[in-house]
Amino acid sequence: MKGKQLSIDKRKRREAYGFILPAFLYMLLVLGYPLIYNVFLSFKNVNVKNLTKGGSVFVGLQNYIELFQNDTFLLVIKNTFVFTIACLIFQFTIGFAFAIFFYQKFRLSGPIRGMVLVSYMMPMAVTGLLGKNIFSNLGLINNLLSKIGITGPEWLVNTSTALIAVIIMNCWVGIPFNMLLLISGLTSISGEVYESASIDGANWGQRFVFITLPMMKGSMLAVLMLGFIYTFRAFDLMYIMTAGGPLNSTDVLGTYSYMLSFTQFQFSKGSAVAMVLFVCLFIVGLFYLHLLSKEDD
Amino acid sequence: MKKILALMLTGAMCLSLVACGGNSAGSTDNSNTDSGSAAQESADTPAAPAADSSNTEAAADSSASGSATEVELWHYFDASNDKEAIIEWVDEYNTLQNDIHITATYVSREELMNQYTIGALSGELPDIGMVDSPDMASYISLGVFEDITAELNAWGELDKFYPGPLSSCMDSDGNLYGLPQNSNCLALACNMDLLKAAGYDHMPTNVDEFQEMAAATTDTANGVYGFAMCCISTEEGTFQIIPWLRSNYNGAGVNVDNLTADSAVHGLGVLGDLISSGSMSKESVNWTQSDAFNQFVAGKAAMCEVGTWHLAMTGDINGAFEYDFCLLPTGSTGTSTSTIGGENFGICTGADNKAACVDFLKWLCSKEKEGEWAVTAGKIPTRSDSVANYDYEQDGFAVFVDEMNYAQARGPHPEWPTIGEAIYTAAQAVFVDGTDPADALSKAMETIAPIVAETPLP
Repeated sequence: MKGKQLSIDKRKRREAYGFILPAFLYMLLVLGYPLIYNVFLSFKNVNVKNLTKGGSVFVGLQNYIELFQNDTFLLVIKNTFVFTIACLIFQFTIGFAFAIFFYQKFRLSGPIRGMVLVSYMMPMAVTGLLGKNIFSNLGLINNLLSKIGITGPEWLVNTSTALIAVIIMNCWVGIPFNMLLLISGLTSISGEVYESASIDGANWGQRFVFITLPMMKGSMLAVLMLGFIYTFRAFDLMYIMTAGGPLNSTDVLGTYSYMLSFTQFQFSKGSAVAMVLFVCLFIVGLFYLHLLSKEDD
Repeated sequence: MKKILALMLTGAMCLSLVACGGNSAGSTDNSNTDSGSAAQESADTPAAPAADSSNTEAAADSSASGSATEVELWHYFDASNDKEAIIEWVDEYNTLQNDIHITATYVSREELMNQYTIGALSGELPDIGMVDSPDMASYISLGVFEDITAELNAWGELDKFYPGPLSSCMDSDGNLYGLPQNSNCLALACNMDLLKAAGYDHMPTNVDEFQEMAAATTDTANGVYGFAMCCISTEEGTFQIIPWLRSNYNGAGVNVDNLTADSAVHGLGVLGDLISSGSMSKESVNWTQSDAFNQFVAGKAAMCEVGTWHLAMTGDINGAFEYDFCLLPTGSTGTSTSTIGGENFGICTGADNKAACVDFLKWLCSKEKEGEWAVTAGKIPTRSDSVANYDYEQDGFAVFVDEMNYAQARGPHPEWPTIGEAIYTAAQAVFVDGTDPADALSKAMETIAPIVAETPLP
């Protein structure tokens, strides 16, 4: 009897593996192969002279060592983290505030919420061009500032302000995305919980801290993780607004890797930068999975 | 049983997904003799996602024969005059003979360059491809283009091409991979109304006078700058910055492999002074050449560094002010420096119909067509025997033709993109951070020197 049960279990497991196999093969082909190829590329010295003619050799960690000794790359790493963290903070807090605001039932809530989504629906290339115009020296922002007697900075020209301008434009796109996901999280909280809390005498702040925040933990985590991944691999916005300049002040890992690989044909160095980008996102992904499993426990 | 069936269906679905991808990737069949479907195929290939299918159809519709050899041509002509001209010319060629049918497909320049790089490995390349002249050496090195030296030598017209543009189609051994289709260079456009208002009845003839005029014509209150140029962190920026680094000042001028020379430092210092004195907008570090020219057209720049192709766009000024062109005053009186630009067409590696491709190239770059294209697109012919009968801006073209005597090609060098990056980075350091020009150029030479030591510039 026991033996029969074991055989059924084994068959079921085999069937289960069978179902997983197509997805596994697909992942291996579409994700695994490029990734492994990229890892190999980053340990070689493939460049414009030997890509097709051959003669590239294994150089170990040399590309990585050279990158981490390069001031530009260190600036790019700094830019990427500053950009990602600043965007996450502003997108999340403003997005959350918008979510709570638009969750309230009031007239025109729906149409206004729809209008807020316009920036999210716009292609990033268009957003980049808009940003380039809005933040130009004589653009909309400086024009408005001059009306209240403030001389606006040369946003996209100064190395200290160019990244701020790009962050603002990215937040403009990211806020509706955060708002949408957080509103769906808010709708999942039963109204009865708030009702009973009100009966118990909880004020708005207490309801927010002790009900909304804990019950939104899953949604918040998902929004933050997705936001991090989406923002960390940013490319098109800075590529169009500033082309990574001036003086690499808006270059991030994505644009830098692209420039090395496709403009300067230093394929191995470009791959090494892409690997750094991948490792950072992989760590964040593992952290997310760890938190999810902890929550399940 | 149901489970097994479900498993089989899932597997079949995945296989079909993979198979679809495979078909799509391999669907560029340039030997296809059905010209009507060739255009559709090119749009289906993953290598041409940015392709403008309307352009493709326009060319494909002109198919004259179902038995013609199919040739796929990718280009990035996107100005109003040349994007229409290439379609008309391909149509003309297709109707002139029945053996070869060209299908012209527009792919944005950035995307086309990316596709060359990817295609170098995957083999997904068109038969004929367009490329910016300074980039061709890199793509030759990447193996994107095919050696057609023998075919072109047999043609017997290579000696008619100007050496500068022709050299950009060669590798370091002198083998040819394509032909230069058009040429251009940089000169100075002047708003004569603004110069006259500042007390000048002539255009600048040397760099000192140029600086003086730029300062005199700057009107900060009205947002008018004395000078506008493009210093963006791309090859466009390098293209416009180089003439100032090669300036013949006090009898000396250098190439980009010696940027620590006094004349180069002085040239970059001139531009840096224009920025720090407010005669040139700092925004030039984000301006493309088109952005800088738009400033000139809008009357916001008294002088502007412009390219030959801008002559076909002076209609935008629409009589708002009087304008004129002169040699780029980068150095002492009687000297000038400029950069040669232009587009080449090469035969891509693996083209099944090399002979047909070469035939089309020879027609495209023939004596008559070179002259016609120069007029249509506002360019300069790449052949000495071609005559461009410009029916507009004749004086302007005369200035640019003269400027070609002082213009130098970038490279050709397989690592030109890295050299170019070092140059625009040095300029931006001076403009944005106020770095000393000598220091900025010394840093640039740290990148350039080892590259040219290994493979010298021609």
